Amino acid sequence: MARAAKSALVLCMDVGFSMSNSEPGQEPSFEQAKKVIQKFVQRQVFAENKDEVGLVLFGTDGTKNGLAEDGQYENITVHRRLMMPDFELLEEIESKLQPGGQQADWLDALVVCMDLLQEETMGKKFERLNIVLLTDLNVQTSADQLDVIIDSLKKARITLQFFLPFPVDGEDRADGGGDGPGPSAAPVRPGKGLSRQQTQGLEMVKNIMTSLEEEDGLEEVYTFSDALQKLSIFKRIDRRPMAWPCHLTIGSSLTIRIVGYKAVTEEKVKKSWAIVEAQSHQRDDVKRETVYCLDDDNETEVQKDDTIQGFRYGSDIVPFSKVDEDQMKYKSDGKCFSVLGFTKQELIRRHQFMGSQVVKVFAARDDEHAAVALSALIRALDSLKMAAIVRYAYDRRSNPQVGAAFPCIKEKYECLLYVQLPFMEDLRQFTFPVLENNKKFKPSESQLSAVDALIDSMMLVEKDEDGESVDVFKVNHIPNPQFQRLFQCLHHRGVNPDDPLPPVEPWLKRDLERPQAVSARCQTPLQDVKTKFPLKVVVKKKEQKTSADVFGSSADEPDAKKVKVDEETEFNLAEIAKGNITSVGSVNPVRDFCTLIRQKTVSFDQACQQLTHRIEQLLGNRSPEYYMKSIACIQAFRDQSVSSGNAELFNSYMQSLKRSVPDRNLQELWDLLIQDALTLISKDEVDGSTFSKQDANQFLAFEQKEEVQAAPVQEDTGDVDDLLDMM
Amino acid sequence: MAERREYYQNEDDEVEEDEEDSGGDYKISGRDSLVFLVDASKEMFIKGEDGEPSNFDMTMQCVRSVYTSKIISSDKDLVALVFYGTEQSKNPRNSFKHVYVYHDLDSPGSQCILDIDKLLGEKGAQFAEKTMGSGETSLGDALWCCSNLYSDIKLRLSHKRLMIFTCRDEHHGGDGAKDRQARTKAADLKETGVVIDLMHLTKPGGFDVSLFFCDIVSPPEDESELGLQIEPCRKLEDLQKRVRAKELKKRSQSRLTFSLGEGVNLAVGVYVLARTATKPSAVKLHRDTNEPVRTKTRYFHAHNGGILLPNDMKRAQVYGKKQIVMEKDEVDEIKKFDDPGLVLMGFKPMDRLKLHHHIRPALFIYPEEEQISGSSCMFTALLLNCSEKNLFALCRYIPRRNTPPRFVALVPQREELDQSQTQATPPGFHVIFLPFADDIRTVDAHVGPTASDEQVDKMKEIVHKLRFKYKSDAFENPVLQQHYRNLEALALNMLEPEPIEDLTMPKVQMMDARLGPLAQEFKDLVYPPDYNPEGKPAAKPESGGGAAEKKAKVEMSEEELKNHVAKCTLGKLTVPVLKDACKQFGIRTTGTKKQELIDALTILQNLCLIN
Repeated sequence: MARAAKSALVLCMDVGFSMSNSEPGQEPSFEQAKKVIQKFVQRQVFAENKDEVGLVLFGTDGTKNGLAEDGQYENITVHRRLMMPDFELLEEIESKLQPGGQQADWLDALVVCMDLLQEETMGKKFERLNIVLLTDLNVQTSADQLDVIIDSLKKARITLQFFLPFPVDGEDRADGGGDGPGPSAAPVRPGKGLSRQQTQGLEMVKNIMTSLEEEDGLEEVYTFSDALQKLSIFKRIDRRPMAWPCHLTIGSSLTIRIVGYKAVTEEKVKKSWAIVEAQSHQRDDVKRETVYCLDDDNETEVQKDDTIQGFRYGSDIVPFSKVDEDQMKYKSDGKCFSVLGFTKQELIRRHQFMGSQVVKVFAARDDEHAAVALSALIRALDSLKMAAIVRYAYDRRSNPQVGAAFPCIKEKYECLLYVQLPFMEDLRQFTFPVLENNKKFKPSESQLSAVDALIDSMMLVEKDEDGESVDVFKVNHIPNPQFQRLFQCLHHRGVNPDDPLPPVEPWLKRDLERPQAVSARCQTPLQDVKTKFPLKVVVKKKEQKTSADVFGSSADEPDAKKVKVDEETEFNLAEIAKGNITSVGSVNPVRDFCTLIRQKTVSFDQACQQLTHRIEQLLGNRSPEYYMKSIACIQAFRDQSVSSGNAELFNSYMQSLKRSVPDRNLQELWDLLIQDALTLISKDEVDGSTFSKQDANQFLAFEQKEEVQAAPVQEDTGDVDDLLDMM
Repeated sequence: MAERREYYQNEDDEVEEDEEDSGGDYKISGRDSLVFLVDASKEMFIKGEDGEPSNFDMTMQCVRSVYTSKIISSDKDLVALVFYGTEQSKNPRNSFKHVYVYHDLDSPGSQCILDIDKLLGEKGAQFAEKTMGSGETSLGDALWCCSNLYSDIKLRLSHKRLMIFTCRDEHHGGDGAKDRQARTKAADLKETGVVIDLMHLTKPGGFDVSLFFCDIVSPPEDESELGLQIEPCRKLEDLQKRVRAKELKKRSQSRLTFSLGEGVNLAVGVYVLARTATKPSAVKLHRDTNEPVRTKTRYFHAHNGGILLPNDMKRAQVYGKKQIVMEKDEVDEIKKFDDPGLVLMGFKPMDRLKLHHHIRPALFIYPEEEQISGSSCMFTALLLNCSEKNLFALCRYIPRRNTPPRFVALVPQREELDQSQTQATPPGFHVIFLPFADDIRTVDAHVGPTASDEQVDKMKEIVHKLRFKYKSDAFENPVLQQHYRNLEALALNMLEPEPIEDLTMPKVQMMDARLGPLAQEFKDLVYPPDYNPEGKPAAKPESGGGAAEKKAKVEMSEEELKNHVAKCTLGKLTVPVLKDACKQFGIRTTGTKKQELIDALTILQNLCLIN
């Protein structure tokens, strides 16, 4: 594997007193430059590449560098040698980077940086050496060494970037070299306001840059404000695609050597969240344990070694050991890119693209014969508007796919674009009711023209002055907001561990909104559409569904069943006569519970405890099928509690259940409780209750998290297990 | 399911979320059920001309294919097979004559397939004659029996469908009372939410639906659907297609608001029309009893052993050597940008939708009139206009709570019917996911010489020879097919699984035959005589060189090691070489980190020096 090329970079910032000066209403250059550095380091930290960064300050009160001798190179401080940037550096910049009271020659500082770079990169391999100078140039410099400096920069292949408070030559030149989107709107300050030193310095900057990089050199000179705008976007996750060498085959004898690269695929955040203990923040303090248990009343535990794997085959479960599976499973014979045939491109529907990637296929590198052969195929397909249907297998272990290879001819290169297509098993043939020929939904002429006008006003592709169409909303230029937001929050939390999370950055929000021009344009047509189309939120007649509606015994089922259910929930005389119920089982916990209460074989508390144990088991299954049963149990619990005049157990159970709702994801269950109005037992029902009717009614409301915490009684972290112990 | 996942969140939660994303419609709404009510009268067994299978045989093949597909795709669904017009009777309370319940409503298993296999073909007809025979017909009784099947089910049923397969347009030979009873029973069934479909088969002289069945079946979903006029099925393929179209209840993944801005909102349902079918995950079973076991995961404190509740844990990531800690809620909150829904950004011409901007399979949206009335009309107007102007709508899409947004292209699709007047493409918008900047990788293009016209023309001939009409449902997934054949073999105690035909393999012989001399001619045009495209690519130094190097270095002499240690050049060696060296000198290393290996070797060398 080729190691990612890394670069070494020295940030060299002017902290001299002139940097703290500013025109009224303007942020001092010092603050701007500091922000640039901050944003830059932040990006580096989260991009997690191996680049090393050093920090040199000049204009500092003290002096600390390897060249300082005999009064030379004074007021220049090497703050940090070359290292991978980390939070420590960020924190230092935040707290320790202060304006100095001195001035230092920026050329001297440059020499210190060069020295630092050379010393620190000795014996290490860097692809790029770079020095970034942030200064206002407002200091006397001695230009006599300039040629020597340029020479040694060239020799050491060190590149330079300047960040200045003003543009390099009156007009805004900074839009050339950036990688980030967004228009550059740097305020252009007239060159006239510059001091003599600054004008002189600027000439020298131009001199250096042009002699280093010829004409393009000046594109590496930025203004602070411009840089800030570009740096506020965290680096996009940049990954080098791996080459996938293979052979394209047509029939048995025609073979072309190719290489594939993943060109488009959904990029995921590289890191996942680790679980740490809440107090110690230690990862090792949390141990995870998975146990296997039988689905019986006692949840009998089974050793992992005593389990085998099986698969469902309809209603059967077929034991099928891993060894057998591996032996019998489909075996593919290695990587391939074999043409099955060619077909018209129009027969391949865009919406039937499957998989999560697009692979670009080129001829093998430096093989011109392969290049010619592949080019012939690409051009033939392109002119016939056809595509190749291929069998694609990444390697021996991976499942084969059927996909399409489309020709793609660009100005600079040619390739095939491979996309996976569906298998028969992947497709679902749904039939939907007719829309356009349906009298009920057919839009009138005036409605159609209103929509027509709306569409015209909302076009995101516009013609510019030259008649070229310009896309004003290019999704593939927008950085994934998820990453931007994540890094923003991580950075904020990293620097301010006790602060709440910051709001979404305004520019990020703006990126996700309709472009303003479009928004403005579509106002009137949108109003027209609004008046012409009556859109009304349907208020459901039967807004509130009871659990009985959701699960079983619904009204649309024959009564025969209902009777049966009722029979079962009612306690059964015959059962009692047999007297065989001694505990609440899992098959019919409601009946068992009622029987126990009536028989008084065990105490009320014990019966309740057994019942809640069963409820917890049912909920522990996390299968909504069990909700119905759980609710029946809760209903019975409540009914029996009311008739026994003992509200305490039920109420405290309900409270603990409520507390556990967010963590256990029982919202659905809770909604059903709300619909069935299964709330706390109030004073009106049982004297002993500590809740008023109103309390009880409000209890079910579950709007805010705060409310849950505000719930009265038992301030400890109420858990069901605690409760069970208590009973 | 989502809730269980909460506990596994420290793994790659992104990936799992995706599964959930595409999984979609697992809402708690109960199970689907389907009853096949098949006419077993003599007419059904008459063979077609030219040895075509009888209607009964065709029906059984169709039923079998539904059974197997249910087993694979929705093993929780319930299916029943009931014959009527039989001589023998078999039903739960044996209260109905001439009704034979072959399979009670249940999720189909391997045995069911075996049972149906008995009814296939010539032998099947004989078997049917022997076990059930053909007798009197009372559709009313048959329907009544079916309604009992439904009511005996303890589970919540979300979708109930009954399909009648018959080739007789008139059932009771003019017995008005029986006709009336059938109508009443059908009405009862429909009232309880059962949808009754007629799968009518060919009958000499034509099948007249209006004679009797128009009053039995459920009215079509919307009045414009020409439900009953369709021709009877002649071919198995047609029948299967028709059954399949009805058999799957379409269910939306979610219902969302589609906002055009300024409070102009419509409601749409989001559907998954294509989703990668994967092998179902294995179930853990107890070795002794083959009982399924559940897993329970809990967290406990490493030191005091106490169980850790969700509140006792936080989430952390390390960046720049610093651990950053957040609450679980905060981690969720970070992902929240807006409420779920589709928000219209604007419109673009279709040619702006780039072929290679693909990151996920598409979704499909269709208006939800029940949520916001007027949605369908507005939706239709958008659909017509977009398709007329050849535009797509660009939207911001947030599928669920606490999910970051994605941009999607809504591509219009108008309804198309095939020859048999069945819907080939439904009306609605396809939802195509668009990549962000981060999703597009920088690929260094290989630039090489291009082909001449002559070479291109030769390739065109090749392409021409190997043309075919691509159909999206033409390829079966060989991995899945093999898996289910294996299961089938195990479940049915077969000696070995039925062989599968791997449709993804190129038919090399056929291709060679079609190409004839073309392949050689093309090669002569593009390749020099001594060129071997199948040879290992020359530019692969890692595999060739690496292996040789490894071999050479394995025998690192003590002298060499000493040298390395003395000069501190161990660091220049690669980890595998160091590992080999450790092995060679008999050092047991616990770590695999380079520094650890180097340290181990250095210590060894220093010890040697002392000795």
